[in-house]
Amino acid sequence: MPAESVSTRPSRSGGSLGLTLVLSEITVLFRRLRTWAMIGALALIPILIAVVVRVSSDTSGSGRGPAFLNSITQNGLFVSLTALTVAIPLFLPLTIGVVAGDTIAGEANLGTLRYLLVAPAGRIRLLLVKYAGAALFCFVATLTVVVTGAIIGALLFPVGPVTLLSGDTVGIGGYFVRLLLLALYVTVSLLGLSAIGLFISTLTTIPVGAMAATAALAAVAQILGALPQLEWLHPWLFTNYWLGFADLLREPIVWTSFADNALLQLGYIAVFGALAYGRFSTRDVLS
Amino acid sequence: MSTTDFAIRTRGLTKVFGRQAAVGGIDLAVPRGTVFGFLGPNGSGKTTTIRMLLGLATATSGEIDLLDGEMPRDARAVLPRVGALVEGPAIYPFLSGRANLRRFDAADRHTSPSTRTARVDAALERVGLGHAANKRAHAYSLGMKQRLGIANALLAPRDLLILDEPTNGLDPQGTREVRHLIRSLSDDGTTIFVSSHLLAEVEQMCSMIAVMSAGRLVAQGTLDELRDEGTARVRITTPDPLEARRVLLGLGLAPEVHGRDDVVTAQLSVPGLLPETVNTALVRAEVRVRGFEASGASLEDRFVALTGEGFDVAG
Amino acid sequence: MNKNWRWLPAGIVPAVIVAASVSGTAVAEAQPQLPAKTAQELLEFVATSTDDAYSGTVEQSSNLGLPDVGMATPSGGTSSNDPTSLALELLTGEHTARVFVDGPDRARVQVLDELAQRDVIVNSTDAWSYDSATNEVRHAALPDKDAAKAELEARLQQKVADHPELQDLPRTPAELAELFLTEIDPSTEVAVDGTSRVADRSAYELRLTPEDPATLIGTISVSIDSETGVPLGVAVQAKGQEDAAFDAAFSDVDFSAPDATIFDFTPPPGATVIEAPTVDEARALVDGKDSDLPAVPTAKPTVIGEGWSTIVELPAGSASLMGIAPGSGEAGMGEIMEIKPGMDPEQVAGAQALLEQALTDVDGGRALQTSLASVLITDDGRILMGAVGIDQLVAAARQ
Ligand SMILES: Nc1ncnc2c1ncn2[C@@H]1O[C@H](COP(=O)(O)OP(=O)(O)OP(=O)(O)O)[C@@H](O)[C@H]1O
Ligand SMILES: [Mg+2]
Repeated sequence: MPAESVSTRPSRSGGSLGLTLVLSEITVLFRRLRTWAMIGALALIPILIAVVVRVSSDTSGSGRGPAFLNSITQNGLFVSLTALTVAIPLFLPLTIGVVAGDTIAGEANLGTLRYLLVAPAGRIRLLLVKYAGAALFCFVATLTVVVTGAIIGALLFPVGPVTLLSGDTVGIGGYFVRLLLLALYVTVSLLGLSAIGLFISTLTTIPVGAMAATAALAAVAQILGALPQLEWLHPWLFTNYWLGFADLLREPIVWTSFADNALLQLGYIAVFGALAYGRFSTRDVLS
Repeated sequence: MSTTDFAIRTRGLTKVFGRQAAVGGIDLAVPRGTVFGFLGPNGSGKTTTIRMLLGLATATSGEIDLLDGEMPRDARAVLPRVGALVEGPAIYPFLSGRANLRRFDAADRHTSPSTRTARVDAALERVGLGHAANKRAHAYSLGMKQRLGIANALLAPRDLLILDEPTNGLDPQGTREVRHLIRSLSDDGTTIFVSSHLLAEVEQMCSMIAVMSAGRLVAQGTLDELRDEGTARVRITTPDPLEARRVLLGLGLAPEVHGRDDVVTAQLSVPGLLPETVNTALVRAEVRVRGFEASGASLEDRFVALTGEGFDVAG
Repeated sequence: MNKNWRWLPAGIVPAVIVAASVSGTAVAEAQPQLPAKTAQELLEFVATSTDDAYSGTVEQSSNLGLPDVGMATPSGGTSSNDPTSLALELLTGEHTARVFVDGPDRARVQVLDELAQRDVIVNSTDAWSYDSATNEVRHAALPDKDAAKAELEARLQQKVADHPELQDLPRTPAELAELFLTEIDPSTEVAVDGTSRVADRSAYELRLTPEDPATLIGTISVSIDSETGVPLGVAVQAKGQEDAAFDAAFSDVDFSAPDATIFDFTPPPGATVIEAPTVDEARALVDGKDSDLPAVPTAKPTVIGEGWSTIVELPAGSASLMGIAPGSGEAGMGEIMEIKPGMDPEQVAGAQALLEQALTDVDGGRALQTSLASVLITDDGRILMGAVGIDQLVAAARQ
């Protein structure tokens, strides 16, 4: 095949950065009813917590229940923190599992994967775009819990300067900066799981299988993390720093867990990104 | 003809699933500017071949030249110039028809976002979906989905269209529209590669065909070349069918059995045996011939001859 | 058609990560080149070290062979005020604390728990403690710097003497090192054991080996900062144990004055503030003798033996004073532990189960054995403890 003839490619135009595909991915993700159902379910967590605390107004259970629960009656802004603590082990990984597990397997299942590839989207580019979509969902999901919590808390309880874990207080402005950092921390925490989900998603054409496997892995990692016999393994589990977001509520802020967490998640992204690349770039698209 | 005179060219293209060779070493040659029919019974490997042409599946062995590049190496350069419908349409059911097309168009990094709306609308108009464009695709009928799939292949000007059973599920008007569409695209210089198992359709649209059978390419050439290779038939209406059969057997032919007992048919399978010779032999044997019909080779006969009689799918 | 090379990154990336983490540990464990110092020089270096102002993170881990309390108590409830489970908690598992020190007057220690934190702040005028789990503030006004310091010191000493295992906070490595260095006597072999890297700084390793065959302590290693002479870490190894039974070290340290605002503290709104009696009030309380405190046994603790195998014997009655029933064998666990109203029943059950596991019946009482120390509660209510085996305690109790 003469090499010079290959160079007669169609002229490149504006979308060559792949940004249009990212936008398209986001549109498709957020035009799905399922996505909004999950976001709605996540928003329900802080609402449920706030309403139950408000209605029962029984403060005798001191020291029990999820962290920050007892502070809610004094300061409605704590609803966000309680809700995050509740959402991190189960609900957030579940929704991330659904989105990340669906990335490739969902397209394969619809058959649309073949038309994206024939377009051609490019397999690596498609993987990156899909991952970007999942990462954005992580952020939106976390922000949903945090923002809904702050709003419902402000509606049902008094608000004011917030007491940090160290006993120092910050004003509402400072608190919102920390909430944003918190949302960022939790988003970063979920990136490793998203990468795992992306990889699992390249293995199958049955999206439900990939979703279930991803969510199950999150549960398994947390169970392993609770076993002291596996102490040596803990620093390598992607769930290891999930509850470390509290370090952002100390004064001065402890940044080491943020950095360690980011490094760990980066490791997971690298490993499972490479696996996903290996699998997806060699795989036959037969659906 | 040099390599670049072909839109598609394969050499020893093979795909093995497990132990079964779905495609077993085929050498396709599709000249530019033709409407090329890709025939074969169910399961003969047409779709598998198309998947390999488009880089969706990796060939177990063999080479593929597509337009000016080699697949899958030059997929990025070549595929934007290829429109495809592979194994039926695929849609996002929760998006409208228009949004579906916008999505697929966005996947191609060479298309311009500024002309997207216009191109999508033009493609929808072209397949007659203009009025249903904003309807959710899950509410589309089978034929509407098929039309959307064809529209997707037409989003940008293409040098090659690969259409896997494009008229599947279409009403007669739709089928006609597609035929017209293919003709007009072909007039514009686009090479069109259509797979089908509908012989009549291929006969009407295509100037060249290739026939697949159980993963092998059993014939390839212009329509006329294939017809000429076919064998003629004779059909005799007579009140003496037993006599007639004896005469045909004597000539070395294999008379076929029919429901009507006053009709005897046979293929003129003996080389050099002409219909008039058969007629003379019947008259000599004093068979009363009420009607004598000699027909040239039909594509159907040729197709059945090449791919086998049985109804069961190979593999 | 061979695309297998695309799997290459999937093989290379994990390999690179493993290599990086291994070489990272190798760098961390590489022994820095430092001018040689004798053991005696090192001891003097420590004695003259200046650690006026610094901040850092201390990682403490204990592996005393006790059951892990973290498994038995529900999550989020680890920072309990119940002394038994608190002690057990600090004696097991790992803890991280941040330490800020600026001169002798101002210090802040933050014990970083999961989703919770305990703070102790001392500045020139006040001493505060704050527990985020209970939202309780304890406050003591320090009227006079020196008096306050003396009082704090005294209280600390008292507390350490009374309950060596019941310390609320991990001590700083410097304090711990001092504790062990004062123990040095002729029965201890002191040697310089090369160099190491601690908290990203180069350090000398000083190794103390008790020659006393009776003690459970195998070696004590102290890491001494090569620049300042400040002890950066202490590790205690029990005899016959491979991993350190107790380990406390800075994971990062900064020898510059911390931000002054760190030592300020205002009780957060809504917190329960418990005012400690001032020194004078406390004195008046004790002098007035109108308290309903149980009578303190007059007999003083007896010290048996010397050096590393010293055994401390608390006289009869001590056990019941501390809320522990003399082991009759049938004593319910509720008697052994102090159960207060309002305590989480789950937690109580957990701690009880742990004590049940930890305490073993021995000849003449019940005993708790850790890899570094043993405690014997005799049937007649005496408490004996020391860094020796249970056998020695039993033998000492008979005398
Ligand atoms: N994913 C697969 N795994 C295993 N075998 C497959 C797979 N896809 C196709 N085959 C086999 O390959 C052979 C060719 O299939 P292909 O889909 O190419 O046929 P086709 O010519 O397109 O048939 P049809 O006219 O029904 O569309 C069949 O025998 C089929 O069983
Ligand atoms: Mg097919």
